Amino acid sequence: MSNTISTHTSPSASTADTRRAKRAGKRDVWLVFWIVPAFYTAFGVIFFALARVMPPPRPDVTTDQMVHFFHAHGLTIKIGFGVLVLILGGAGVANGIVVYHMKRMTVGSVLAYAYLGSMSIGALPGCLLVAICFLTAVYRPGRDPQLLALLYDLGLLSYVGSLGCFSTAYFAFAVAILYDRNQIFPKWLAYVSVWQIVTEILAVPVFVSKAGPFAWNGSISFWMGTVIFGFWLSCVIVFLMKANERQPVDEAPLD
Amino acid sequence: MQILAEAEDLPKTANIKTQLISLWTAPVFGVVLLIAFLAFPGFFPPMSPDMTAEQVARFYDDHAAMIRFSMITFNLCGIMLLPFFMVIVVQMKRMATQSHVFAYCYLTAAVSGATLFALADIFYLVAAFRPGRSPELVMLLNDMAWMIFIAPVGAFVAMNLLLGLAVYFDDGPDPVFPRWVGHYAVGTGLAMAPAVGAAVFATGPLAWNGAISFWLRNGAFTLFVVVMFFVLRNVLHRQAVEEGVAR
Amino acid sequence: MTHAEQATSESGSPAASSGSEIEQHPAVHVPGDGHMWVMVLGDLIIFGAYFIIFMVYRAMEPQEFLRSQEHLNINIGVLNTLVLLASSRFVARSVQAARGGDHALALRLTYLGGLCGVAFIVIKAYEWSTKIAQGYTISSNDFFMFYYMLTGVHLFHVSLGLLILGITARELRNPRRRRISMVESGATYWHMVDLLWIVIFALLYVMR
Repeated sequence: MSNTISTHTSPSASTADTRRAKRAGKRDVWLVFWIVPAFYTAFGVIFFALARVMPPPRPDVTTDQMVHFFHAHGLTIKIGFGVLVLILGGAGVANGIVVYHMKRMTVGSVLAYAYLGSMSIGALPGCLLVAICFLTAVYRPGRDPQLLALLYDLGLLSYVGSLGCFSTAYFAFAVAILYDRNQIFPKWLAYVSVWQIVTEILAVPVFVSKAGPFAWNGSISFWMGTVIFGFWLSCVIVFLMKANERQPVDEAPLD
Repeated sequence: MQILAEAEDLPKTANIKTQLISLWTAPVFGVVLLIAFLAFPGFFPPMSPDMTAEQVARFYDDHAAMIRFSMITFNLCGIMLLPFFMVIVVQMKRMATQSHVFAYCYLTAAVSGATLFALADIFYLVAAFRPGRSPELVMLLNDMAWMIFIAPVGAFVAMNLLLGLAVYFDDGPDPVFPRWVGHYAVGTGLAMAPAVGAAVFATGPLAWNGAISFWLRNGAFTLFVVVMFFVLRNVLHRQAVEEGVAR
Repeated sequence: MTHAEQATSESGSPAASSGSEIEQHPAVHVPGDGHMWVMVLGDLIIFGAYFIIFMVYRAMEPQEFLRSQEHLNINIGVLNTLVLLASSRFVARSVQAARGGDHALALRLTYLGGLCGVAFIVIKAYEWSTKIAQGYTISSNDFFMFYYMLTGVHLFHVSLGLLILGITARELRNPRRRRISMVESGATYWHMVDLLWIVIFALLYVMR
């Protein structure tokens, strides 16, 4: 569709080097796109291997065991979350490119803004708070165990239990896709986003349950949610790439 | 609003429809949030900052179930009010006689304000999570929850002042909002502003359980959502008619 | 809700033009559109996982699950099952009516199906309130947590289903549309909701 090299200069380029474009779509959008899988790969490494919150440590442990957890993983937590708070801009980039393509839909901007807003909100309780809590917990050796237990609970409950911000984002995304006629994303991606809302609902009991499938490390509230999120994210990345490819090189910049 | 048959498939119709959906999330989820508000045992009357640590810990132990029901509902449904405020952003961008900088400032302020709301309920829930926690720590979490919920009104004040300014600047022949909306927004911002006192005062009307910081602040905000729902419904109808989308 | 299935359809379904349903049948007609089937099959897989996990925990604490199960009112469960089955029948007949061109009948049947859905929700709300009044809440034990969560997320699906039936009704009311694929998609989703309930009913209420 848009694999031909455009012969007239796009409004955004000031010189004639757009004729060298090897790929369809715009250079800046491609640059932004590649940041997304790079960021989430780093995110995965940090959250799985370093920060030890994927899977999260158990809620049904004693204060001493929580202290032991921080003691045992202090170094990797510092490295992992330290790097995370540096690269967290990648989340903004990922949200930004989705908003960009949502604005190319035929549905107007209100849902793109809702997605932008909700995802931005979610970054704090859903990601940063656990990073800060854990970094604080391992910052000073010998901190009172009860304080460490508080940081443990606060970090993990906010991480697994931030439900509404993301639900709103998925809602906005799903509705926009279903109304869109430019076929920026396929309709079934809207339904996958609805599954994401279902996983948020299934995470409601983490505030109540300390063991079993509905605890913050449970097979339903955590694991299934993570698996479905991984699937959703992979689909989004694939379709961002396709949206990039199908975007005409000479499409005017969005307002 | 009666969408015209010939306009069914146009992009500008989808623009109206998605705004309508975003608008209607406010009353639908507003009712849910109101139920959650009424269900929280610590709002009637609002918990006093004077409570001792033991009293706070006992409160969380005694009422864990309703605290959890109420705050989980806030957690799950609170941000569903955001699309409503994004309709205001989109309408601000339709104002003809100004650049749209106010709309973008409004957007970011709304995001900041909503983040605090998303954060506050987590603190209540953590306070209720482990019954054996030291009462001092439960009180710490409770203090933070209340303070985050009530005091940082800066974003809401800014939003309302920005909306007011935008309405005042929209003085061309075809304003988006009626002029009184500008006064109303400024008034709402001013009504919410004193709630910052909750971060400082432990007694009196400015404390987080006080008439000004709790009832006036939350009442003004709720009333704003209700009033603006009807205003925006009219505005959307006019937009639809102007653009040939509806009758 | 607009679907772009007229343009590129990823399933094998024929591009349905508005109004007439039977033009040129290929050998196989996949009802509805491929996107809804992704939703349905994916949802079934997800719920399947929930059901397996339920069975695992039940196997670990069989006595507790059996004892807790006795506190459920099986009559209400049966009533809910019948209500949903009736609604599915209405919806299935409405698809037949739409295919046959009788859109007024299809619309009425869609409304009836939706009404049954509302009845389901009301009955479920009543059931929950009696259980809570008797002291069986989500934190009572594992069984009741499963009970509330499974029926709760199912209730969410029923609500979505009502939304979808509403969209189907709007489609049927508008003489310029009446795309059969939309009616079929809505029905597919609704049947899935019914199927999920039957499994939930069997697992929670019946299975001993």
